[in-house]
Amino acid sequence: MVLTPQMLDLIVGAISFLFTVLIFSYVLGDNPLFRIAVYIFVGVSSGYIAVVAFWQVIWPQLFYPLLFGAISPLEKGLLLVPLFGLALILMKISPRLAGLARIVMAFIVGVGAAVAIAGSLSGTLIPQIMGAINAFDIVAAGARNIGFLEAITNGSIVLAGTVFTLIYFHFGARAKADGTMHRFGLIELFAWVGRIFIGITLGVVFAGVYSAALTALIERFSSLVNFITSFLGNFQ
Amino acid sequence: MRIFTALIAITAGILVLFGYFIPAFSGLQILLLNWAIILAGAAAIVGVFNLILVHSDKVRRSEKGSVYSALLVISLVATLIFGIILRPGHTIMKMVVSGIIVPSEAALMGLLTISLLYAAIRLLRRRVDLMSIIFLMTAAFVILGTASLPFGAIPLVSDFSRWVTEVLALGGARGILIGVSLGILTTGLRVLFGTDRPYGGN
Repeated sequence: MVLTPQMLDLIVGAISFLFTVLIFSYVLGDNPLFRIAVYIFVGVSSGYIAVVAFWQVIWPQLFYPLLFGAISPLEKGLLLVPLFGLALILMKISPRLAGLARIVMAFIVGVGAAVAIAGSLSGTLIPQIMGAINAFDIVAAGARNIGFLEAITNGSIVLAGTVFTLIYFHFGARAKADGTMHRFGLIELFAWVGRIFIGITLGVVFAGVYSAALTALIERFSSLVNFITSFLGNFQ
Repeated sequence: MRIFTALIAITAGILVLFGYFIPAFSGLQILLLNWAIILAGAAAIVGVFNLILVHSDKVRRSEKGSVYSALLVISLVATLIFGIILRPGHTIMKMVVSGIIVPSEAALMGLLTISLLYAAIRLLRRRVDLMSIIFLMTAAFVILGTASLPFGAIPLVSDFSRWVTEVLALGGARGILIGVSLGILTTGLRVLFGTDRPYGGN
């Protein structure tokens, strides 16, 4: 029996409908239906992650070049290193041999640390500092029809917010005569202002996440209604 | 073994870091990065196998909730077997993604609407201080200012919420991002200096 595209759509729609309803049952409280849906979701997602990791990373970058790749013997030899690493990392499944996988974990952590350092420098630290500086670029602001005073005021507020927020995370303190720990008075004041900026930022983040969640909720409701109408339409 | 693992982490990290700043090391950097990508993929698969082992153990011991664990193992193994045989691009695998994974993710995201609203109400009932009020007022202003309302945007609220987002929140976000970035930098350097050994070398 060959499934037509319409039948496939109907099957996908029915499964999607079922999982949406099962997950939405959580509104009535934690219940077995919700748990069934979530456990299956975790199982399927984990299986899919493993499949993608194999077919899109390990097969094309390791096994395919080793078995069928038109590459030099040196390149094939170099691929034996990750193959050996793969064998070692699989030892992690066995509790007795798990220690051998530490070598590979050390390699991944070392490379990850280097990538994180370079990424945080070039991807966050420098661009954010440049952003704080560029906020005072009067010429660029003029090109965007922003007046001199507005650009300087907004740039100063953003800079103050950045500095005060960073000061909030400064936890250096001195012990007083009575043994209690206190931050320097001015630092304490700036940290208080920083807290307000953090509160506003988290409020905006909350609003963004809430809007995204609301969009997802509307999309799911819309898909439920669409499925019911198309399903009923098939019987007319 | 401890010294050997630390040596591997430090050497690999320094060589990859050199590749970013010294062009002569870029070839070696790409080679090491490719190895790390392959091994990270293998680590992900090992993680999935660990999930199977943990839940299979729960089923074997007939622990509380073992029925759910059995469902997880069955769905995981079935997806894994079909995926390995058919590959991710096959129609059945696409059906799994668009029939189970995407709708479940979207529905869980949709549930967040209720959870977040409940959390906001609880915050107001349990802790009414300046920070909570600022947090919730900002969230309410931004949601009202960005919402597509049937009668159009609310004039002052819309402009004010845009200013709050683009100026006040930007300052705070920039401070948090720089703080996070400095934290990552410090943690990375601690690993490269061998002070931190999260791979179990302590």
